[in-house]
Amino acid sequence: MADDTVALTTARRAGAGAGTPAPAPAPGRPRKRWTRLNWIGLGFAMPAIAYIGIFSIIPVVYGLVLSFTSYSPLSRSGPVFNGVSNYAHIFEDGDFWKSLWVTARYVLQVLPPTVVIALLLAVLVSRPFRGVGFVRSALYIPQIVSLTAVSMIWLWLYSQNGFVNEVLNAVGLSDQHWLISQSAALNAASVMRIWKALGSNMVLLMAGMQSIPKDLYEAARVDGANGWQQFRHVTLPGLRSMLVYVVAMDIIFLAQGFAEIYVLTQGGPLGSTTTANYLIYQQAFQYNQLGSASSMAFVLFALIAGVSLLSMRGMLGRRSS
Amino acid sequence: MGVISRRKVAAASIGMLAAAVLALTGCSSNSSTSGDTASGSSKHLTVWFPGNDPNESKYVEQTMVPKFERETGAKVDVTFVDYTNLSPKLNAAFAAGSAPDVFGHGAAAVADFVKNDRIEPLDSDVEKLSASDRKDLANALAGAKVDGKQYMIPLQMQGWLLMYNKKDFTEAGLDPNAPPTTWEAVKSDAEKLTKRDSSGKITRSGLLLQTEATGRQQSFATLIASAGGSQLNKKGTKATFDSAAGEKALQYFVSLYQGPDAVATNLGQDYLNEPTAQQPLVTGDAAMTIQTAQGASKIAAAYPNGDWGVVQPPKFAGQSEGYAFGGSGPGMMINKDSKNKTLAWKFIEFMIDPANYNGYIKTIGGVPNRSSALSTAYVKNSPVLGAWLKASSQWVPNPNVPNWVQARDTLDKYLEQALNKVVTPKQALKQAASEVDGILSANG
Amino acid sequence: MTPDAGRPQSARRGQGTSLKTRTRAANTTRVVVAFAAAILVLVPFLWMLSISFTPEDKAFGSISLIPADPTFANFIDVMTETNMLRALLNSAIVAIVVVLANVILATLGGYAFARLPFPGSTAVFYILLSTTAIPVSVTLIPLFLMTRGIPLAGGNDLLGHGGNGLLNSVAGLTIPYLVGAMNVFLARQYFISASPELAEAARVDGAGEWRIFSRIYLPLARPMLAVIAIFAFTGVWDDFLWPLVITTTPENQTVQLALAQFLATGNVQYGPLMAGAVVITIPVLVVFLFNQRGFVGGLTDGSVKG
Repeated sequence: MADDTVALTTARRAGAGAGTPAPAPAPGRPRKRWTRLNWIGLGFAMPAIAYIGIFSIIPVVYGLVLSFTSYSPLSRSGPVFNGVSNYAHIFEDGDFWKSLWVTARYVLQVLPPTVVIALLLAVLVSRPFRGVGFVRSALYIPQIVSLTAVSMIWLWLYSQNGFVNEVLNAVGLSDQHWLISQSAALNAASVMRIWKALGSNMVLLMAGMQSIPKDLYEAARVDGANGWQQFRHVTLPGLRSMLVYVVAMDIIFLAQGFAEIYVLTQGGPLGSTTTANYLIYQQAFQYNQLGSASSMAFVLFALIAGVSLLSMRGMLGRRSS
Repeated sequence: MGVISRRKVAAASIGMLAAAVLALTGCSSNSSTSGDTASGSSKHLTVWFPGNDPNESKYVEQTMVPKFERETGAKVDVTFVDYTNLSPKLNAAFAAGSAPDVFGHGAAAVADFVKNDRIEPLDSDVEKLSASDRKDLANALAGAKVDGKQYMIPLQMQGWLLMYNKKDFTEAGLDPNAPPTTWEAVKSDAEKLTKRDSSGKITRSGLLLQTEATGRQQSFATLIASAGGSQLNKKGTKATFDSAAGEKALQYFVSLYQGPDAVATNLGQDYLNEPTAQQPLVTGDAAMTIQTAQGASKIAAAYPNGDWGVVQPPKFAGQSEGYAFGGSGPGMMINKDSKNKTLAWKFIEFMIDPANYNGYIKTIGGVPNRSSALSTAYVKNSPVLGAWLKASSQWVPNPNVPNWVQARDTLDKYLEQALNKVVTPKQALKQAASEVDGILSANG
Repeated sequence: MTPDAGRPQSARRGQGTSLKTRTRAANTTRVVVAFAAAILVLVPFLWMLSISFTPEDKAFGSISLIPADPTFANFIDVMTETNMLRALLNSAIVAIVVVLANVILATLGGYAFARLPFPGSTAVFYILLSTTAIPVSVTLIPLFLMTRGIPLAGGNDLLGHGGNGLLNSVAGLTIPYLVGAMNVFLARQYFISASPELAEAARVDGAGEWRIFSRIYLPLARPMLAVIAIFAFTGVWDDFLWPLVITTTPENQTVQLALAQFLATGNVQYGPLMAGAVVITIPVLVVFLFNQRGFVGGLTDGSVKG
């Protein structure tokens, strides 16, 4: 993994100083000697590994097993093995392919604005000014306010006589069917999602900025760099590992987009907002077909894993130093 | 990344093994342990109500349950779960064998519970009701049977009828006290009631049917029945909506929204679940809309000065009778693994006893499950409820067959395409029929 | 602590007047834009606030942000008609446990993956991370079965049979959240970008690894700890599906479940719903306000004036 070379090189450098051999991966050598530091590392990570192993990996593997079965949670007989027929079936399922396409569109149109606007906001509020606490909290509020309650507000904002149309009418534009028109519904859901996700990205990037050494800015200023140049050459590179996190996290969560679709459009109109995860939810809980839902989930999983790994690599591949 | 180590393989296989064990024990343990968790002692009952109407939960928790507990000495735990959340909660509980003794759901879900042998047939219990009770409840009970056996006791009736604003009728030169009796007349009246702006855009719909997800299918059920057709065959194994009646119904449905004679706008909008103040009838965005009894009661209560009318189910010209989507509403079922079936039935019996039931149905504002309710003060005092009880012989429910939810959603998807003119009504029904047949074939 | 980037003070020092004015102007613009963005983002919330103070029968239909006939009735409703107080207590207990577990265990794990890698750690890390890419619809039921089968809990025997495990318990509510793979990932990313030289020097001085972690890197990671705390708190506070599925009695309800009582299909009670939403937003807001100080790196809000 590209970003692990970072960890490994730093570890190697650290090792050089302390006289402890760094665990650099040697090609062709399947087993490495475990050093004291390795064992300590394993010890540090063990609680997390064990907990996630038990309470996340087992359910996931169980889901993987189910994806080769036909299973209704209501049935008494338990899962019935049916080979790859779930997979064979979903590959012929036009609705599933369409939902993947909707998901891809959704990720592509939500991801860039959430990251870019969040970055902008993070720069704006990373330095203190009078009322900065208020501004930060305001920007984070969408993340914390109960989705069930706030979705009622959004439904109303978007409704026929709602606020958005009132504003349009006030400026002389004709009103739109935001949630019931095929061309607008996914965009309407995207706006709500951007609104909701901005705060968490901003918080992450703010935290990332705190770890950029101050002397880098001093040095840049000595070299005569202006604000933009400092941002471009100090802030951005310094944020790289945090940006990797933000983008990967956003891809993983956006590709599982469900809640805002569920409350705003129920997948309609004409399936234009039926994301893959919405379809999976329907299969699992409306049609009680957990086997087929699982197979869809693992196809989605493969795509998410592939895309997020690629994007993580891509972002680190351009590493300048 | 390096070579996959043996350790990793070992870790992965342990995970797999654990999951497989879980898959096996989790599901096989149902039969051995189920039920014992739902109720510790024979005097302890767990009940899950469908829906979370605050008035209902308050009445049940504060009035009915304490009374039942006093009468029987039992301890009852009730939980209210909104419909949208009922499936995840019930599925998990059934999979783990911790499902409640008594639970409620809509009629559409009953057949799947029956198919999976999860609920108890109630015929012998119903037999023990008095003859007059059985007669009084006959309409409600009939809609909660699967393969001729009684599995659910409906707590209310439900139905979707046209409600209209009499003032709009008068203003359009129509007789407010003689609403249309055929769908053709409904359309021509609606044309008179429709208002357009200078650009031709509809500013007031003459008639609104439900066109949101699943609502479309309910509207279609009303129309196809009134055109003399049906959705599935009697055995529930094949689609029958791909017929002349089906086509007529869908063509009519589409004509309300499309073309120069359209009488409705905002296709796909779920107006029915909007707050009372936002109902198109109230805001003046429509002159005639489909309403539920609860919705109509709320409008009538909130706007007592309004002049509201309800249309009895219209038919298509040439048919003998009109129908409207409706029938037995949500009701209670008994978990087959319950260890307290006697007490469970006692609870249901208690719920439907008029001494307790009348207060309950009044609280939730629903249509009573007893025909005799027509003479109760609750119905008599309501400006709209009488119309719902009067239509009781004209309800047409959805079929009670396994996999119905998926079949319904499939039909719904194609109805939406037809309504949006993506496909013709004929194509939509044909496509839907072939997919629905595939879904139902699993029921054979 | 690392001071924040390009503070105006340092820019002002030794610079010409014109640059000073320009910096000041830029600063003013920055503050204005920040406030404008905040207000814009707040609009839907302001509506909630307005509706929460509006009598139920007038709750909808007006587009005014100022409540007509302001009233506390909705708040009184929330507090009396639901067991909101109990739910707040439950959610708070669950959230505090989850925050502590994540701050400690996810941070430790992320630190190890970044600074103390061991053979296979990369693969292990990606396997852990991959669990976040599986929809909850699929894992809900297995997790439910496991929660029920936890040995020696809720009447279970050593093999996890016989009882209800941690179903319908406050402890059970914490199960999916105690260690979030996303938080491990976050900690890892943060420690990767921290300087390795500090550890080298400390090792030369003979410091143990725990000491290096707790005395050198952990203090540097304060902003990240704040983020993990905020995210863990927000995540568990907002979740609906898990508490819905595993709790059956009111005394184990969480805030979202208490709130959902006003959200009956077709019968939404907007006033109390919004009042309840406002009530349950406040604790998270307090947690956020408290933690966001972690981002200012030792500076207080008042110390810099335009």
